[in-house]
Amino acid sequence: MSAPVLPPQNPASRLRASNRRTALVLAAIAATFFVGVIGSKFLGGQMMGLSVLGIAVLLYLVAAIGRNLSDKG
Amino acid sequence: MSTIAHDHPAGLGDPHAHDDHAHHPTGITRWLTTTNHKDIGTMYLWFSFTMFLVGGTMAMVIRAELFQPGLQIVDPEFFNSMTTLHGLIMVFGAIMPAAVGFANWQIPLMIGAPDMAFARMNNWSFWLLPPAAMLLVISLFVPGGAASGGWTLYPPLTIQTGMGMDLTIFAIHILGASSIMGSINIITTILNLRAPGMTLMRMPLFCWTWLITAYLLIAVMPVLAGAVTMLLTDRHFGTTFFNAAGGGDPVLFQHVFWFFGHPEVYIIILPAFGIVSQIIPAFSRKPLFGYASMVYATAGIAILSFIVWAHHMFTTGMPTAGLLFFMYATMLIAVPTGVKVFNWLATMWRGSMTFEAPMLFAIGFLFLFTLGGFTGLILSVMPVDVQMQDTYYVVAHFHYVMVAGSLFAFFGGAYYWIPKWSGTMYNETLAKVHFWSSLISFNVAFFPMHFLGLAGMPRRIPDYAQQFADWNMVSSIGAFWFGASQLLFLYSMIQCARGKGEKAPARPWDGADTLEWTVPSPAPYHTFETPPQVK
Repeated sequence: MSAPVLPPQNPASRLRASNRRTALVLAAIAATFFVGVIGSKFLGGQMMGLSVLGIAVLLYLVAAIGRNLSDKG
Repeated sequence: MSTIAHDHPAGLGDPHAHDDHAHHPTGITRWLTTTNHKDIGTMYLWFSFTMFLVGGTMAMVIRAELFQPGLQIVDPEFFNSMTTLHGLIMVFGAIMPAAVGFANWQIPLMIGAPDMAFARMNNWSFWLLPPAAMLLVISLFVPGGAASGGWTLYPPLTIQTGMGMDLTIFAIHILGASSIMGSINIITTILNLRAPGMTLMRMPLFCWTWLITAYLLIAVMPVLAGAVTMLLTDRHFGTTFFNAAGGGDPVLFQHVFWFFGHPEVYIIILPAFGIVSQIIPAFSRKPLFGYASMVYATAGIAILSFIVWAHHMFTTGMPTAGLLFFMYATMLIAVPTGVKVFNWLATMWRGSMTFEAPMLFAIGFLFLFTLGGFTGLILSVMPVDVQMQDTYYVVAHFHYVMVAGSLFAFFGGAYYWIPKWSGTMYNETLAKVHFWSSLISFNVAFFPMHFLGLAGMPRRIPDYAQQFADWNMVSSIGAFWFGASQLLFLYSMIQCARGKGEKAPARPWDGADTLEWTVPSPAPYHTFETPPQVK
């Protein structure tokens, strides 16, 4: 049985969205460690480290700017 | 807002529990499909105890073979499989699931949450474990036998062994996935589902230690998964990560493994620290001394645990600068650990103490874990470790911290919380016999291993030189005695689950003041559906 769709302002749906965001961030950290440990053997440690940092910064900017734009819009 | 507690108690193994809103299944379907944190916690705890008995049986095989010099009972290959599987099962099948079981039962109750954040994923996290455990046990019966290179799975040996190693790799992948999902659940629950007024710095310390442990798990379980994946591809897909002939390096595996392995031992001990931090204040009838410093010390231990891994590799030919760095960093971990030990002692100082079974186990933990910590400090001295590496001194050290440390804390936690879980008080006399029997037999089993290690007896050998015979016999007697003592615990828990004992009040321990003691015993199937207002 799927969960009922709730209006976005509903506290329960805000909590659910917040839980999903937290879980996605944590899963991304786990995935980064897994990919990083294997990928660093192909790319080299420094390249892998720089790539992870760069992607993290890019994703952060995309998320922050995106939220800012959607709040204004 | 007041706590709402249903008047339909659940308790351990109660097939007739139901709540007002929705009837849940009974019988086997209940346990297969449950999303209730109490049910899932119960399953984790029973599973972990079962695996403890399985791993313990393997330990009995090991100690039976080592009772006398010579090869009497098993062949050397099987002995090596026993040591390997004993380690894997105890670490991944017993201790870690037990800690998750405590987390599942207690975290929502302690923070005033109705359940875990992702209740269905919680069910999935548990039900991954029995198949993984079966893979490990079944690996004994495949051609070539089970993995036999030690729980650390070092190549090149593990690249060459039979399909038992592949089953072990798959089991570790599954166990890792379960742990990662469980950790995501725990972090999200603690960060997002706390009751109003339950700030992070007012949370019970058990929740803090589990929050930090969950972050450690998120970071390092994928690293283990990466390491064993590389092992798998080296075995079957032509890669040469760990094969020097192909441009790889066997020592690379050790670096990657221990980058997981050292935080892993803190993953094993931090929940135990949290349990002890609940028990000692309750039975001293004083608040925990230095709450903030305990939080910072736990975080400090977790952060430092990432930079000490190569103290497991002092004999691999590292440059001197590396040896020195890892030696000093390892010694540094003793500082926050010491802060915690002193704070537990200060909590007891001038407290109004009583010594029921939970407190006995907590004090036993305090003394014996500290002993194990001292031998760890001795091993951190690199020139000493070069002599002690792969001797029984190391075996003594980690059994003191993991058995007298983690396991004793878990026993204490079980006795502490079983009245809440089952609604029945355990038999205090039997529990005290369990404690003293375990304490004495544990020391008979493992203290002589310090002497054996100092005398030069290597690890992971099925036969040994004559000069090690006497202490090995003593150690084996202690081990059998320790194993038998655990049947007392099993009996106690079964009696409580069946309701055979004195009925427990909501708050059986008058010094206990956390939220779980505000709900009835046994805890209702659903609790805190309306969040309590924490003042």
